[in-house]
Amino acid sequence: MNIVGISACTVGIAHTYIAQEKIEAAAKKAGDNVKIETQGTIGIENALTDEDIAQADIVILAVDVKISGEERFAGKKVIKVSTQTAIKSPNKLIEKLHELGRQ
Amino acid sequence: MEEFFQAQDIIDPKTVLVHLEAHNKKEALQKMAEALRKTGYLKDTEKYLKDVYLRESKGATGIGGYIAIPHGKSSAVQKIGVAVATLDEEIEWETLDEHGVRGIVLFAVGDDDEAAQDHLKLLALFARKLGRESVVTALLNADTAQDVQAAFSDN
Repeated sequence: MNIVGISACTVGIAHTYIAQEKIEAAAKKAGDNVKIETQGTIGIENALTDEDIAQADIVILAVDVKISGEERFAGKKVIKVSTQTAIKSPNKLIEKLHELGRQ
Repeated sequence: MEEFFQAQDIIDPKTVLVHLEAHNKKEALQKMAEALRKTGYLKDTEKYLKDVYLRESKGATGIGGYIAIPHGKSSAVQKIGVAVATLDEEIEWETLDEHGVRGIVLFAVGDDDEAAQDHLKLLALFARKLGRESVVTALLNADTAQDVQAAFSDN
């Protein structure tokens, strides 16, 4: 499955990047292609391209704050959780993405 | 990100406190902030801690697996840095699982980001590593500051 997403937390220096790592690791373990854009204090990194988004089966937003560019996902299946959920149960989250992505 | 810098470069051995004696969160944060101040990362310990507690009030900084990542963006920060502490005994902390905390990574970031983009990038790279189980395990087992640095150099 092709998964793209965004992580962003309140202060933008810690949880954002831990959530990115956890989601990417769990998705890779499940055999998915995955790319998570981070929106933190340093701005946007690992930015999703139009092509990344076009090819995605599902979009995961692990965000605690308002993000920029959410409209890029119009027409896509989008799941929104907190960064805490992504950090706490990344494997369960990926399972959920698989369920919804298949529908 | 330039490959030039590596995540472990953010760790200053002078602000690594292995086997820290602290019986609660307050004591641990106080000692860690003091270490940051003494080595020139903070201008003012109390003011910085106020900003750290402000973040604490907004949600758990215990990320599970015995690790906590308290952090504050504060005008009391002189330069970007981290303090790392390991504790022999678990202390109480607001966490995402049923455990307390035995490893603490305290981030110090100033409120002027413009000047410090490179360091912030390094800090992001460093934070990311805390999402890896192998890094966390190595950190919790660290006996020396060098062990702590080695924990984060794991690719």
